[in-house]
Amino acid sequence: MAVGFLSSCTTTAPIAKSVAYKGMYDEKPVTILLMPPINRSTNVEAKEYFHSTLNIPIANAGFYVIPTFLSMEILKKESAYDAELFLNSPLTKFGEVFGADLAVFTIIHKWDKSGLAAKVYVQVEYIIKSIKTDEIVYTRTGDVTYDASVSTGVGGAWGALADIAASAINTAATKYVDVARACNAYTFKDLPAGKYSPTYGTDGELPAGKKIFKANLNSKYR
Amino acid sequence: MKKILFISLTVLMLASCTTQKPLYTWGKYEITSYNYLKNSDEKSTQKLIETYQNIIEKQKGSRGVVPPGVYADYGFVLLQANKTEEGKAMLLKEVALYPESKIFIDRILKIIEE
Repeated sequence: MAVGFLSSCTTTAPIAKSVAYKGMYDEKPVTILLMPPINRSTNVEAKEYFHSTLNIPIANAGFYVIPTFLSMEILKKESAYDAELFLNSPLTKFGEVFGADLAVFTIIHKWDKSGLAAKVYVQVEYIIKSIKTDEIVYTRTGDVTYDASVSTGVGGAWGALADIAASAINTAATKYVDVARACNAYTFKDLPAGKYSPTYGTDGELPAGKKIFKANLNSKYR
Repeated sequence: MKKILFISLTVLMLASCTTQKPLYTWGKYEITSYNYLKNSDEKSTQKLIETYQNIIEKQKGSRGVVPPGVYADYGFVLLQANKTEEGKAMLLKEVALYPESKIFIDRILKIIEE
């Protein structure tokens, strides 16, 4: 533990993913349940921005992500839609109902806009808990500054960016959805590979990202 | 020596960047699912349905299969739009492709029957 603290402070020696996220490598989870994001920021919309952008990076890492609209419906029926209630309580029920191995909690601490510089400042905490053991198997907190003034060029890989730009009927929503997308994409870059990834089981030696990080992002970040 | 190492590292990094094709492609999923989440009106429903069809028919990810949850949520949206038979068929496609979904798909089918 002490060694972990020290090395995370010095930045010179990154921790291997298999050490930082040991629980994930031990349990070999397949199915992930996205809990509705917890919004503690002053921006009421922030919850939805995150809710619609969480599943892509996690599915693309190789996990089975329980479909969000469907899970939302079931969570509402089971009176379990407020994720805050489950942050510190047993999760076994989600295993029974969804067959989920892990639950992803997202806590939006801050979402502030600065009008002049077209910047959005977000503080967001991600906590992934094992549904079997209730242990935290992955957690990262980011202070993200998103610069919306960076023009949306053709830099986006796989045309995703062009797609977003083309569908920009509501430009404000498009912009803010992209803020959440960038936060999620940046954070989950170091997520251990899931069963459907070609690197499943072989990525443990790669470095884990910093537990607490600062990042400057924009629409070009993939 | 250092220079060679640097160059080869750079080449390696670049190479790994270009070959990293995502497991799945998602088209306009993020913004259309946001609009549906927010509005659930006819227009946003239609746009989301188009997005799902696009993900299914024009999938360009490295796995070459429909991403997890897409058939299921597509089916669910169809059910909400009273397209019951089509919706159920999609839910069953999800189970066929991802057997781990059976547990909650069965649950949602039960909710529909009620």
